[in-house]
Amino acid sequence: MGRPGFVLDVDERTPPLLMHEGEGFRLERLPLGSRVIYPPESLPGIVDLEGAIQHALMHPQGSDPLPQLLRRGMRLTIVFDDLSLPLPPMRTPDVRQRVIEQVLELAAAAGVDDVELIAANSLHRRMTPAELKRTVGERVFRAFHPDHLRNHDAEDPTNLLHLGTTAHGEDVEINRRAAESDLIVYVNITLTAMNGGSKSVSVGLASYASLRHHHNVHTLRHSRSFNDPPHSAMHHSYDRMADVIGGQVPVFTIETTLNNAPFPSALRFLTRREWEWNLTDQASYLAVKRSNDLASAKLRRQIWQATEAPYGVTGVHAGAPSQVHPHTLAALHRQQLTEVHGQADVAIFGLPYICPYNVNSIMNPILVMSLGLGYFFNLYRGKPIVRQGGVAIFYHPMRPEFHPVHHPSYIDFYELLAETTDPVMLETKYEKQFATDPWYIHLYRTSYAYHGVHPFYMWYWGAHAMQHLNDVIFVGGHRPTTARLGFRAASTLADALELASDTVGRDPQISYLHAPPLVLADVR
Amino acid sequence: MSSLRAELRLLRHGRDWRGRARVPRSAQRWELPENGDDFPTAWARTAPARALRTALQQGVLKPVVWSQTRPVVHGREYLEGVRGPAIFIANHSSHLDTPVLLGALPRRITEKLAVGAAADYFFDSRATAAATTLLFNAFPVDRRGSRRGRSLAAELVEDGWSVLLYPEGSRTVDGWLSAFKLGAAQLCAMKGVPAVPIALRGTFAAMPRGRRWPYPGRPRVTVRIGRPLRIEANETVPEFRTRLVRAVATLWAEDDLGWYRALRAAADDTLALPTGSRRALPTTASGQPAHDHDMAPWRRVWESTRPPANDGPHPVWPD
Repeated sequence: MGRPGFVLDVDERTPPLLMHEGEGFRLERLPLGSRVIYPPESLPGIVDLEGAIQHALMHPQGSDPLPQLLRRGMRLTIVFDDLSLPLPPMRTPDVRQRVIEQVLELAAAAGVDDVELIAANSLHRRMTPAELKRTVGERVFRAFHPDHLRNHDAEDPTNLLHLGTTAHGEDVEINRRAAESDLIVYVNITLTAMNGGSKSVSVGLASYASLRHHHNVHTLRHSRSFNDPPHSAMHHSYDRMADVIGGQVPVFTIETTLNNAPFPSALRFLTRREWEWNLTDQASYLAVKRSNDLASAKLRRQIWQATEAPYGVTGVHAGAPSQVHPHTLAALHRQQLTEVHGQADVAIFGLPYICPYNVNSIMNPILVMSLGLGYFFNLYRGKPIVRQGGVAIFYHPMRPEFHPVHHPSYIDFYELLAETTDPVMLETKYEKQFATDPWYIHLYRTSYAYHGVHPFYMWYWGAHAMQHLNDVIFVGGHRPTTARLGFRAASTLADALELASDTVGRDPQISYLHAPPLVLADVR
Repeated sequence: MSSLRAELRLLRHGRDWRGRARVPRSAQRWELPENGDDFPTAWARTAPARALRTALQQGVLKPVVWSQTRPVVHGREYLEGVRGPAIFIANHSSHLDTPVLLGALPRRITEKLAVGAAADYFFDSRATAAATTLLFNAFPVDRRGSRRGRSLAAELVEDGWSVLLYPEGSRTVDGWLSAFKLGAAQLCAMKGVPAVPIALRGTFAAMPRGRRWPYPGRPRVTVRIGRPLRIEANETVPEFRTRLVRAVATLWAEDDLGWYRALRAAADDTLALPTGSRRALPTTASGQPAHDHDMAPWRRVWESTRPPANDGPHPVWPD
């Protein structure tokens, strides 16, 4: 059993601590008295995963066992989380493959012929055939691709169905095939507390008309945090939509949780507590760091993107979404929750090389912002790690690099930031134009591009943090790019703290969120 | 991109030569259980290892230590009556303590003496553990007590081995005496063996924490061995521990007060004894006892590194 997460008070004994910074990492000495929020150690994965999946399917929460829901002649749609989960991509066989294979075996036994598999990519880029194959496995891919294993297309009007509106007037429009199925089986990986539950179908299979009701500045500013569903306006909206969907099509969900093992054994030092590094860890650190620093940017990215996480599965729960999700969240909290007392004046985050939207791609500056001020800032429950009016310091080189195939609209969005960085201004003035641009839609549908509106969503993702913080500083950030985004760059932590002193004074309380592996700060 | 040297310096920061970092205080609660006591040490008590150890101790260790320091040993005569196993307890302020003690004690004792060594420090790497075990006949001691019940000390005493323990648990940070843990007194009570108190002075000044070699100039080191003490029939283990602390403090004070005044101070209960988290210096330059809470950190180090009054050649003419 792994040790629980805890908060370290940096004292004179504390060795320099590891800090991610994009496709690299460094050791950093934090000021004495700083606090470091460590995640719980990785829990052991389920040894008999096949047995656990089978047990979940046969003993679901709030539902009949799956075999009883399957019958000859039915329309079955199996939907699964896309390549944005998990991060980094897990070592094959992916847990989704293991679940889907068992579901299909039951379907075959029940005589179900009409089976479709859909990746719930929403407005994300389509998954390539290779990525689909990696996710669902060779057998499923060969049996169903390309006709019956495909990506969701949120811009195909003939393949969308408007199911109605919620009590708040929110449109619910999802994939027609799924909506007209006799049963949706959703295969999920809950990597953070925002995943899974009502979000799965109502977001993963939705269209822009539906997503705009919760992916907006107002909702995200009232989602505190979006990793704490009971206090997330975004999740309340998901729930309302899920009720509408659930009223028209039965959904059987299978949610899985992973342990905190995002790096292979050669990078073990990335997950060990620094004072427990032995000589092997130190030698590995030095060797990997030097090789990484000396490698070309292209090679470095290839190596990082090729990293496969040796995740273990800590929980498999199946049944009705509303009944399953509390169990999933409990399993996730066991792995990720660390109790923190009090907020800090300055929060430090080391941003890694990957976020949900740059798998096999490039993390452009807008995604860096989204990862930092969106995902990492919101890794809290209760209160933000940093107080209102505080400062966030991020580590990332923030280079102005874009993937022209995956992120074409991001390139144009980046230009908008020269005019304004105000999320509300961007939303009201430009969102619709980008969302309905025929070229972006064409690229989304036929190429491998994120939807035209996606960079806006990324920007809104940080809206709560932007409103909450007085200053945002990127250590090692490319100055012109950082300035374009409305932030400041510093060469060193000392410089960053010097800049921050205008806001928080000379002796601020500092908290460093030591992630990855993921940690959810339960701030009291 | 930082230079390799800068990277190495950062990586080595706060780590000792084996790459070990001290556990931050707030992380001690979550420290991994040590597995040092899993290291086998029985081989070091076999006849060939004993012969090799004696040769190393007498032929290398003692000459080196005696060439770098000036040990003065008092009280060896009290050991004449010690036959069979005994628990040697001493204050601990330096890595020099064990080599000095092994040189100071009679060979007939050191040949049958095992030394308790911190499991989390000396037994965390196999190379260090093997070297420590061979040279000092060391066995792992869990300082935090979570595996106390599995300590080898009791088994060693049963097998006829004397044991050297540092009941303070760790080297002092400022040269002052820390409170004794119960383990040594408990062992004496359990096995009915005597405890031999020993006070070491000057080792802190000669080679404090952080030093790997004594300061130059052959600093003087005093080893004062006391009379063996046995737990009385009506004495509790904590009471016996207090008696041991007082015995060590008395020996300690001899350097300042002389033998008889130190005995008198002990009898009058005017020596400062460490209790709980309070460290103490039995006597100071002014002859007054002191506790660490009463003094600034620099004064504590100042006091404990003060050269003995009678250091150096005696003046031919009195003042």
